[in-house]
Amino acid sequence: MKPSVTPPTPSDSDLQLVERTNAGDQRAFELLVIKYQRRIERLIARMVRDTDQVQDIAQETFIRAYRALHQFRGEAQFYTWLYRIAVNTAKKALLDMKRNPVVSESALRSQNEEDETSSHGQELTTDETPETVLAAQEIAEAVNAAMLALPEELRQAVTLREIEGLSYEEIAAAMECPIGTVRSRIFRAREAISARVKPLLENQTGKRW
Amino acid sequence: MNQDLNQSQREQLSALADGQLAGEDIGAALEFAGSDEGRQTWQLYQLVGDVLRSPELAHHAQHDVLSGVRAELARAPQLQTAQLEAIAPARAPERAANSAVFRWKVAAGVASVAAVAAFGWSSLHTANDHGMQLVQADAPEQSVPGEMLAMQAGPGAPIMLRDPRLDELLAAHRQYSSVAALQMPANFLRNASFSDASVRR
Repeated sequence: MKPSVTPPTPSDSDLQLVERTNAGDQRAFELLVIKYQRRIERLIARMVRDTDQVQDIAQETFIRAYRALHQFRGEAQFYTWLYRIAVNTAKKALLDMKRNPVVSESALRSQNEEDETSSHGQELTTDETPETVLAAQEIAEAVNAAMLALPEELRQAVTLREIEGLSYEEIAAAMECPIGTVRSRIFRAREAISARVKPLLENQTGKRW
Repeated sequence: MNQDLNQSQREQLSALADGQLAGEDIGAALEFAGSDEGRQTWQLYQLVGDVLRSPELAHHAQHDVLSGVRAELARAPQLQTAQLEAIAPARAPERAANSAVFRWKVAAGVASVAAVAAFGWSSLHTANDHGMQLVQADAPEQSVPGEMLAMQAGPGAPIMLRDPRLDELLAAHRQYSSVAALQMPANFLRNASFSDASVRR
């Protein structure tokens, strides 16, 4: 009789990467940076009006997280922990800006735009321009179109994983198939959706993906 | 064949994103993620997942944060090393100005030996003296009694013979006694009873 192996829960991915980082593998931390960079940038952009500061604060957030990573015990979600660091880093940056009020050009620009044309109902974050909003819409549409074009079993597998957050074992039980098949279906679904998104990113960023 | 390997590596990365890898497979996936293709694949998978959960996140990263983080983390160990190097000379013992002159070392050695010899000789004598005292203390028959003094506290009080050395010893150790050691001893206390005629009646 084989010993039962408890499958990792969905959040174990972050924990695995944290453990690998703490063991000295910096590549694992880079994957965490890539994974959470967009969310952290968005969060900071909502707090800080100076777009030039967003990148610096995001970078500082990840560096602080890296240095404090040995304190992360996995009791909370990694993103919750990172979120707190980002908020504290942004607050500190705001305080520093108050003490040393050198306003950058982009901050002045956004301030003027707000005075003349701002409407609080549809306020954009400082990092958002009409172009970036359009680009985001294109990406969202491409993902939705790719989802609709997927075979049913792939769509179901990736939905259960990405939206419902089920583990491979739970998906296997729900879809009545082996775990290996679940893994393969989720991978194929991701590949198909990525293939639709990739050309958009190449157009938007101007570099090859 | 190369395409199959690539496919397999991408599938491993997909499984890593779901926390479904263990042991050496994680290392292999991280190896692939270290390449440009692996990093872009990981970025795409994360973007797809985020967009499926929240269309608000349907945008690519605005800034190159990763390069900045890498540069900072690469600089940190160098800083630490530089700090250690800056600290190290301060910790190293400074050489004396006359350390190159050999006769100073000889003189220092001779002086040390002389000091040790003097201390040893002195200790040896002290130990011998203590030994003698102990022997004397343990052998009361060898002690020579000093001149005894006859004292009387008052007219009619008993005469007490006092040994001056004993008085001296008691005076030196007065702090260990709860009573005045040098006081005249009280007369022998006898039982006394109060007789009252009224009580008797």
